[in-house]
Amino acid sequence: MSTTAASNRHPIRLTVNGEVHEREVEPRLLLSDFLRHDLRLTGTHVGCEHGVCGACTILLDGAAVRSCLMFAVQSHDHEIETVEGLGTAEALHPLQEAFRDTHALQCGFCTPGFLMSLVPFLAEHDDPSEEEIRHALGGNLCRCTGYQNIVEAVRLACRRQRQGDAHGLGEGAVPGEMS
Amino acid sequence: MKHLDAALHTRGESAYVDDGTPPDGLLHAAVFGSPVAHGVVRRLDVTAARQREGVVAVLTAADIPGDNQVGPILADEPLLATETVHFRSQPLAVVYAESPEMGRAALAAIDCDIDELPAITDPRQAFAAGEIIDRPRQLTLGDVDAAWEICDVIVEGKCDLGGQEHVYLETQRARAWPLEGDNLRLQSSTQSPYATQRTVARVLGLPLHRIEVDVQRLGGGFGGKEDQASPWAAFAALGARLTGRPVELVLRRDEDLAMTGKRHPYQADFKLGLSEAGEILAYEARFFQNAGCSADLSMPVLDRTLFHSNNCYRIPHLRVWGVCCRTHLPSNTAFRGFGGPQGMFVIEAALHKGAAALGMPREELQRRNLMVNGDLFPYGQRVLESRAERTWDEGAALFDLAAMGRRVEAHNAEHLGSKKGYAVMPICFGISFTATHMNQAGALVHVYTDGSVSVSTGGVEMGQGISTNVAAIVARSLGIAPRRVKVESTNTTRIANMSASAASSTTLLNGNAALLACHSIRRRLDALLAEKLSLTADQVVSVLDEQVLVDGEATDWTWNRLVQEAYFARVALSAHEHFATPNIWFDAVSGKGRPFAYHVFGSALTEVTVDVLRGTYTIDRVKILHDLGRPLNRSIDLGQVEGGLAQGLGWMTLEDLRYGDDGRLESHALATYKVPDVYFMPEDLEVRFLENAGNPLGPFHNKAVGEPPLMYGIGVFFALRHAIEAYVGEVSLPYATPLTPERVLMQLHGRRLADIVAGTDGQEADASSQDEEPSLTTA
Ligand code: FES
Ligand code: FES
Repeated sequence: MSTTAASNRHPIRLTVNGEVHEREVEPRLLLSDFLRHDLRLTGTHVGCEHGVCGACTILLDGAAVRSCLMFAVQSHDHEIETVEGLGTAEALHPLQEAFRDTHALQCGFCTPGFLMSLVPFLAEHDDPSEEEIRHALGGNLCRCTGYQNIVEAVRLACRRQRQGDAHGLGEGAVPGEMS
Repeated sequence: MKHLDAALHTRGESAYVDDGTPPDGLLHAAVFGSPVAHGVVRRLDVTAARQREGVVAVLTAADIPGDNQVGPILADEPLLATETVHFRSQPLAVVYAESPEMGRAALAAIDCDIDELPAITDPRQAFAAGEIIDRPRQLTLGDVDAAWEICDVIVEGKCDLGGQEHVYLETQRARAWPLEGDNLRLQSSTQSPYATQRTVARVLGLPLHRIEVDVQRLGGGFGGKEDQASPWAAFAALGARLTGRPVELVLRRDEDLAMTGKRHPYQADFKLGLSEAGEILAYEARFFQNAGCSADLSMPVLDRTLFHSNNCYRIPHLRVWGVCCRTHLPSNTAFRGFGGPQGMFVIEAALHKGAAALGMPREELQRRNLMVNGDLFPYGQRVLESRAERTWDEGAALFDLAAMGRRVEAHNAEHLGSKKGYAVMPICFGISFTATHMNQAGALVHVYTDGSVSVSTGGVEMGQGISTNVAAIVARSLGIAPRRVKVESTNTTRIANMSASAASSTTLLNGNAALLACHSIRRRLDALLAEKLSLTADQVVSVLDEQVLVDGEATDWTWNRLVQEAYFARVALSAHEHFATPNIWFDAVSGKGRPFAYHVFGSALTEVTVDVLRGTYTIDRVKILHDLGRPLNRSIDLGQVEGGLAQGLGWMTLEDLRYGDDGRLESHALATYKVPDVYFMPEDLEVRFLENAGNPLGPFHNKAVGEPPLMYGIGVFFALRHAIEAYVGEVSLPYATPLTPERVLMQLHGRRLADIVAGTDGQEADASSQDEEPSLTTA
C-alpha cells in the first residue's frame, strides 16, 4: 500500500502551534502520524485509529478535529494547534490547570485529546449546563477515570473563567491533598 | 498532593514507549497472524515477503535462538505457532521493515497454507471434548451433600458471563535496542518488567542479567499487560538480535483486539439452599472458565473465582468447583478483579433466584447473610475484621436505601413506558497475590548531597498513581517536601525479580518496601545526630518539614545540613530494602490457607430506568460506601473507585465481545466494541469512604483500592433485572451478560416476539433473536 517514490510526495505548508512547517508527504500519510512522526509532536495520541476515542484531537483553524481521520495533505495551508501549543510550563492553560487540580487524569493517554476537544468549548461557554458539558465530552473516551473528575474539571475551568481567575488562585479549590 | 504526572500529562510531554526520539536505524515490526482459529499449518513461506521493499528481515519460529515458549505457568504457549494454530490471528511470523507501512504491506506476501479444523469457542463444549487445562479445582466447607436435607428452599440455575476487552487506550508496544556483547535494552508497556525480562531472556536463550527492561509509564493496563505485554517485547527483542538494529513494535487497535486475551468468559451452574427464614445453608457452584487457547494465568484466575464465590456471605456448607477449558480463542488473561467478579456474580444470581423463591426482597436475603468476624471463607481463612455489615448499614442509611425503594415502586406504579429498578451490591475482595511467593517487593532509595531523593521500586505507573503514592510515602517518612522526591522509571537493573503491578497490591508491597528503605536511612541519620548533638538515649529526634527536631523542639539542623554532614561523615545515603507480606500461605492440595493479608469491603446502591419500548436504559445513580482504611491520597483513591466502577458497569452492560463460530472476533474495533462514555455514566454518582477504618498492614493504614470497586458494577445487572421484572412480571430470565439494550429488549418482549415469530408462516427468527434464544424461554 505504501510507496516511497519521491514523485508521489506532495509538498505541504502549514502552521503548527504558530510555527510554519514545509514538508513533502505521501498522499496517504495520516495527519496524526505526520504530527507524531514527522514533526515529533508526540503529545497527540492515537488510541483507536478510526475516529472513535478522540485521543488524537487537535485544532484545525480553531475547530476540534480528529487527526486520525485526516490526511496530512488536507492540512495544507491550514493552522493547527496541538496540546504542545496549549499554555506554557509556567502558565498552563486554564483547562490544563483544571485537569490537574481535579485529578481528571490517570494514565494520561486520553488527556491531550480531551483538552483539545474542550478548548473551543471553553471559549464559547462560561456557565454550561451539565448536559452541555456531557455533550462536549461525548466524543472522547477515557478508560481510567469514570469521567467524574473530567466533568468536574470542565466545571472548574468555566467557573474560573467566569471569575477571571485563569490561574487557579482563589475560589475553586478542590479536595485532594494528602489526608 | 496532585498526581505526579499531572503537569506532564496535560502538556502532552509524558513519554510513552514510542514517544522518545526514534533511535538511528529504527525498524518497525509487523506481525502475521493466522487466518483461521484452528488448523494444521501445511506451508509457511516468507521468501517473497523478505524481498519486499523496505523489509530487512522476517522472523519465523525457526529463527528463535532460545525457547519458542512464553507460557508463564505452563509451557503451552509458543511465541510463534509452528505445526498447528489455535486461535485466529495467532502470530506465525514477524516482518521487520523500515516503516510500519512497509512491514504491514509485506505481510500480504507471506504464503501460508493451513488445513482448517473445527473451532470450539464455548467452554462447556470444550469441557465435553476433554479440552481442559491443568486440573479442576475445588473448595469445600462443611458437608454440602448432607445440608440439602435441612434446606427449606432450593434453587438452581445457570449463568453465562461474557468476557471483557481491556481497552487500555495505549495498545501493546515495545522498543528494543541491541547493545554491546549480547546485551539488550527494552522499553516496554508492561505491568511486569520482570516477566517481560524473563520471557525475552527465554526466547533469546540468554541469562536474565543480559536483558534490561525499563518502564516509564503505561497508557493503561488493567491486567492486559500483566503477562501479555511480554510477547510483543519478545518480538522487538528478537528483531533487534536478528538485525542488529533497534526495533519498535506498536500494535494497531484492531490487531490488539484480535491478538490479545481478555477477561475470561465463564459459564456456571449454581444450587442454593435456604432456610425459610432466609439463612443460606448450602451452596454449590460449578464454573466452566473459557481459558482460550492456553493456560496463561487462567489457573490463578480460576482460583480467585472460587475464593470469592461466596462474595461476603456466610455459607456453612459449600462446594465450589471449577475448570479451565481450552477453546480456540486468544488466551484469556488477567483483568482487574482477576476472576473474582465472575465468582461474585454467580452467588448474587443465586441469591436473586433464592429471594424470589422465598418471596423475600433480595436485599433482605443479602443483608441477613453478611459475614461477621470469625466466619469462614471458602479457603478456610476467618474474617478478622469484617466490615460487611458496617458498609451495608452505613451505606443504606447514608444514601437512604428505603427511599430508593419507595421511589422505584412509586415510579413503577405510575409509569407504563418506563420501569425503574434498584439493587444493593456488597463486595468483599481479598488483597494479596494468590500465588504467595509474589507478595514481595524491593525498593531502592538514594539521598543525594543536595537533599534531593530518588526512589525506585518495582511498581509500574499505569495511571493508578503508584508514583504519587510512593513519593508521598517517602516524603512523609523522611520529613521532606514531596517535590524533593523523584520517582524513577521501573527498571530491572535497579530492582530485581519484581512482581507484576497487579492484584491491587502495588502500593501495599512497594510502598512498604520504600518505607523500610527510608527507615534504614533515617536510622543512620538519627545515629549521626545523636553523636553530633550529644543526645541522650531518651531524647527523640525527628525530621518534619525538612527541619530536625529534638523532643519536638526545633534545632538549627535542616534536612540539607543533615545530608551534607552525613556525606562528610561517610554515612551511606542509599538503601535497598525488601518487603514480604507476613503471615500468608495457601495449600493448593487441601484448598486451605490464609491467602490474603486482609479484605476490602464496601457496598453500592444502584438505580436504573429502563425504557420498556426500546430496551434502552439509563443508570440514574450509583452510591458507594467504600472501605479504604485510611486514604493515602483521597483524589487518587477516589479516581480508582470511579474508574473501577465504570469498567464494572461496562462489563455488565455494553461491552460485547462477539465471536463468530469460526472464532473470529466480530467486535474488533472501538466502533463495535463499546466502552462506557460520559453519557453512560450515572449523573448522580457519589463515593464515600468508610470513616474510622484503619488497616495496620497498609502503608500509613491504607487499604488497596485498584480492583475491588469494579465489582460494584455487578449491581447494575440486578437493578436492570429488577426493572425488567417490574414490566414482565415474575419470570426467570437468564443470567446472561452483557445485558445490552438489545438483550433487555428481548427480555422485555421476547415471549411475545416468540409467539409472533411462531405464529408467522415461513418467517424465521432473525439473527439477533437466535442469539437471544435462551431469553425467549424461561430458564
Ligand atoms: S485515534 Fe483518532 S479518534 Fe481515536
Ligand atoms: S486517563 Fe487513562 S484513558 Fe483517560
